[in-house]
Amino acid sequence: MITLSYKGKNTFLEAVNKKSGSDVLECYQCGKCVSTCPVSNFMDFPPREIMQMIKLELKEEAQMANSTWFCLTCSACSGRCPREINIPAVMEAVRHMAIEENFHPDSKRVKNIRKFHEIFLDMIKRYGRNYELRMMAEFNIRTRNLFKDMHLAPTALLKGKIPLGVKPLKSKKAIKKMYEMAEKLEKQNK
Amino acid sequence: MKKVSYFPGCSAHGTSEEFDETVKMVMKTMDVEMEEIPDWNCCGATSAHTLSESLAYALPLRNLVLAEKLSNDTMTIPCASCYQRMKATKVHMDEDPELAARINTAVVGEGKYEGKVAIKSMLQYCYEDMGLEAIKAKVTNPISGMKLACYYGCLLTRPKAITQFDSPEYPMSMDYIVEALGAKATPFDFKTECCGASFSISDTDIVLQLSGKILEMAKESGAHAIVVACPLCQSNLDMRQHDIEKKYNVKYDLPVFYLTQLMAIAFGFPKEKMMFSKHIIPVDSALAHIGEVIEEPKKPVKGKKAVQAESEVE
Amino acid sequence: MARVGVFVCFCGANIADFVDVPTVVEEAKKIREVKFAVDYKYMCSDPGQQMIRDAIVQYRLTSIVVAACSPRMHEKTFRKALSDAGMNPYLLEVANIREHSSWVHQKDKKAATEKAGDLVRMAVAKSIANEQLHEISVPVTKRALVIGGGIAGIQAALDIADARIPVTLVERSPSIGGRMAQLDETFPTLDCSQCILTPKMVDVASHPYIELIPYSEVIELNGYVGNYKARIRKKASYVNFKSCTGCGACWQKCPVKVPNEYNMGIDKRKAIYTPFPQAVPNKPVIDAEHCTMLLKGKCGICAKFCEKGAIDFKMVDEVIEREIGAVVVATGYDLWDATPYEEYGVGRYKDIINSLEFERMVSANGPTGGLPIRPSDGKVPKSVVFIKCVGSRDKAKGIEFCSKICCMYTAKHAILLHHKVHDSRAYIFYMDIRAAGKGYEEFVNRAQVETGAVYLRGRVSKIYQKGDKLMVRGEDGNLGQEVEVEADLVVLATAIVPYKENPALARLLGISYDKYGYLSEAHPKLRPVETAKAGIFLAGCTQAPKDIPETVAQASACAAKVCGLFAGDTMKKDPMVSTVNKEFCSGCQNCVTVCPYQAIVTEDIPLGHGAKETRTVAKINEGVCQGCGSCVAICRSMAINLAGFTDPQIINEIVAI
Repeated sequence: MITLSYKGKNTFLEAVNKKSGSDVLECYQCGKCVSTCPVSNFMDFPPREIMQMIKLELKEEAQMANSTWFCLTCSACSGRCPREINIPAVMEAVRHMAIEENFHPDSKRVKNIRKFHEIFLDMIKRYGRNYELRMMAEFNIRTRNLFKDMHLAPTALLKGKIPLGVKPLKSKKAIKKMYEMAEKLEKQNK
Repeated sequence: MKKVSYFPGCSAHGTSEEFDETVKMVMKTMDVEMEEIPDWNCCGATSAHTLSESLAYALPLRNLVLAEKLSNDTMTIPCASCYQRMKATKVHMDEDPELAARINTAVVGEGKYEGKVAIKSMLQYCYEDMGLEAIKAKVTNPISGMKLACYYGCLLTRPKAITQFDSPEYPMSMDYIVEALGAKATPFDFKTECCGASFSISDTDIVLQLSGKILEMAKESGAHAIVVACPLCQSNLDMRQHDIEKKYNVKYDLPVFYLTQLMAIAFGFPKEKMMFSKHIIPVDSALAHIGEVIEEPKKPVKGKKAVQAESEVE
Repeated sequence: MARVGVFVCFCGANIADFVDVPTVVEEAKKIREVKFAVDYKYMCSDPGQQMIRDAIVQYRLTSIVVAACSPRMHEKTFRKALSDAGMNPYLLEVANIREHSSWVHQKDKKAATEKAGDLVRMAVAKSIANEQLHEISVPVTKRALVIGGGIAGIQAALDIADARIPVTLVERSPSIGGRMAQLDETFPTLDCSQCILTPKMVDVASHPYIELIPYSEVIELNGYVGNYKARIRKKASYVNFKSCTGCGACWQKCPVKVPNEYNMGIDKRKAIYTPFPQAVPNKPVIDAEHCTMLLKGKCGICAKFCEKGAIDFKMVDEVIEREIGAVVVATGYDLWDATPYEEYGVGRYKDIINSLEFERMVSANGPTGGLPIRPSDGKVPKSVVFIKCVGSRDKAKGIEFCSKICCMYTAKHAILLHHKVHDSRAYIFYMDIRAAGKGYEEFVNRAQVETGAVYLRGRVSKIYQKGDKLMVRGEDGNLGQEVEVEADLVVLATAIVPYKENPALARLLGISYDKYGYLSEAHPKLRPVETAKAGIFLAGCTQAPKDIPETVAQASACAAKVCGLFAGDTMKKDPMVSTVNKEFCSGCQNCVTVCPYQAIVTEDIPLGHGAKETRTVAKINEGVCQGCGSCVAICRSMAINLAGFTDPQIINEIVAI
């Protein structure tokens, strides 16, 4: 049972709308996004329900949902949305707010997804480009699943599918600086 | 000779080297000179925009600024994900100069973004700039006999506001190109369904389910193989195919070609140069169809009797 | 010697699939008097009618039998075909082999065919005894009676009067305006209800062709289409309208306070009052149930302050009569009393109100100056829950229909709430959003996007008090979870029900009504504004729930029907009416009693030729007679004859089978 009590302002809704550039109030709950979404059956609350949560100022519930982490940004939903809502942007807005507030679902799947993205960005920070093999290895180490995809390793490596090294950037400093500046911008953005 | 800027993307030097190589063959055949963006960086892919809005814009913006330093008016990008990130950044920056100025501060010392360079995916460049007629004219080794399901994935045509190219639901540009090469494009309803993308590593189950459905429907369409223009799609459909077959207890045996590999073959390059050895699903069975005659199912012809009966009914 | 033509119709597959049509034709041909018989795919089509016209001439036919669908469907069509061929149209008989045979005996083609043959034989036999009949002309009284002065009655009255046809408009309350006068703004354009209504009210009062009789009721209606006579009771107003200037001194001084009906009882009015400032006529009346002077003979303050001496405590009800040709009924609607919703605590919690109460609160001329408040403590509510379908679509509570307008006015209420209280939020519990009308869907979306009103999909299961909040529990299907909303105020969109005295009025008018009291139209699709009784029409919510645009359209449709009826100086009527053979009439007057149309009166005629003594016999008003035949059946002396259904005709039919 969720208790809905109105506090006189729609702070969450307004923040999501501003960040996403869409108006969640446009949603009329048709559910076309849900049946379009390739991963909605992996979500605990499909996009339509996330929209209703935002309308009802259920910030905690929306942020704790794994849905925003499963969104692939494939944009199939927004392409079909009859109310022209940029649903991936809304999902992203909720996710970014959750990250800023260090608030996200305590599920292994979501943790893995987040870890993957962190490692990926770390690779770029270090090399300016993605070091695929190292990224996969680090992911396996950090998710304590050392043998994940190992069955693919012989073929992938032998066939040269995944190269052993990476050609790093010359201007690594520029990338490091960019990361610092981006972090500052994120803070200003709040 | 036409000259374009080229952004290969990380996977071109990694998992999709064969894409990169065959792009070069195709461009050479079509008399297009490619100038690689000097010291380009990763676009940030899904990860950047999952975690940080600023980084999601800053990483591509550096490449855009670098591209503007070259004198070419167009930049082509083979990887769908890189293309999507760069094009999205361009569109948002061009729409919102304030945002552009703010993100520009993170791209230190590389210069100011001006929005001069057009961005096109490799598919879009082939279809719009080269044109079907010109492609057809260069075909010396038609791949007729092959039935191909053209898979576009999410990012080449969606969202429409960003890509401004082809249909987000049932695109045909790649279909037309493979038909220009002599092949037969099968009617394929899962052209733009998502393959699971970056979940390949972080949540493989999702990829097995989504890519599995795409493979099933491609097989259903009667295709000998799938054609893609995206490294991530290729690796999900190709590298994960055995896992999918195992999980769902099916057998697809559908090779997954890059569009440019098939173009290169049709343009007369030897098979050996296509780096087919990197494919997990062997391609030979599909290529063996080249030269076969595809029989079109005949439309039932109305007999005289049937026509008469119809006119009587009214 | 009679020469009958028989025309059997396939009705496409409707008849032909279940009745062997050629066999029926062959059977017909066996009858001696039948000189021509034929079948055709669609006899009602022009080529079909042409076959009849040609055969009449070619075979010199004396009567015609068409074996087809119900005479209700195409009798007129075929009669006209006869006329066109120079034959008296009443020499036609229709054998209904569709409704009476093919449709009801689909499982037995042989029996259905036999029955069709019988029906044809009967019709042929009857037609042989048919006589030439001629339409009756009835004079028409060109005045319409409109019952009810809401928007439906106002629109109908204005449209009829604009065609220069006199109208008598009867309104039971002291002012016209009806429910619409209570509304603040109207969907889907949010134009002010008063602003668009009051000019029409003034037009009614000043229209040269409209006689407005407020504070009165129709108590009797006699007669028949074109020639009705209505009796109207004018309730005593105790105010002489002729001398009253409407200055207002009387009601300002009156010491008696009574719950104000116009404001849904939220505030008080006086015992002498005008319902609202824009009332038409703008003259006060004394509410006899509450006036101290009338009840106890004390007070009379109003009379003291009336400079014109217009107060008349001795005034009594007055009954007047009007001769009219047509009636438009527009008695409007009430809101259903939601007390049976015990689970909501209706009646226990002051802060649960109905939608008209909310409407009055947000109205600029309302009792709270346009601001919604909590009845319990007068505070302005921030969190307001609107519940749709309270009563409506609730079989268990006795109402199965959709009230049609609640979806739209609730969206409007959400917008009005937002306009009046900016930092408020509307929560709307709903089952569906039914917004099928021009600009309606857009309006509902506007309510959500502009005001942030959130629609929660589900029926509220319970309301309970917690502190000064009402806890509203329901499932939000959109969230997929149960929710409890902390509400300051709850507004119920209760069902729309017809005016409670509709059944009594319907009996008085001789028209039918449904189990809810809605008056019944003649045909739900093709005759939506007519009743089964000729000359009586329906407009607005008296027939079914509807919104203002639909009500106005229906009212104008009524006006068009009335104008059509009054287009000539006389009306044509079928000649199938009864006549009395005075020679045989015993004067028992049984026929007078059984006639459902009060068409039979008595008259005194000389006992014999030139005699002074008289005897009483029945006399039938052929204008009123509907040809039902009740009098024929009851007449023991067989003195009454019904044209078109004479004894020889009926006997022939019986003999034929």
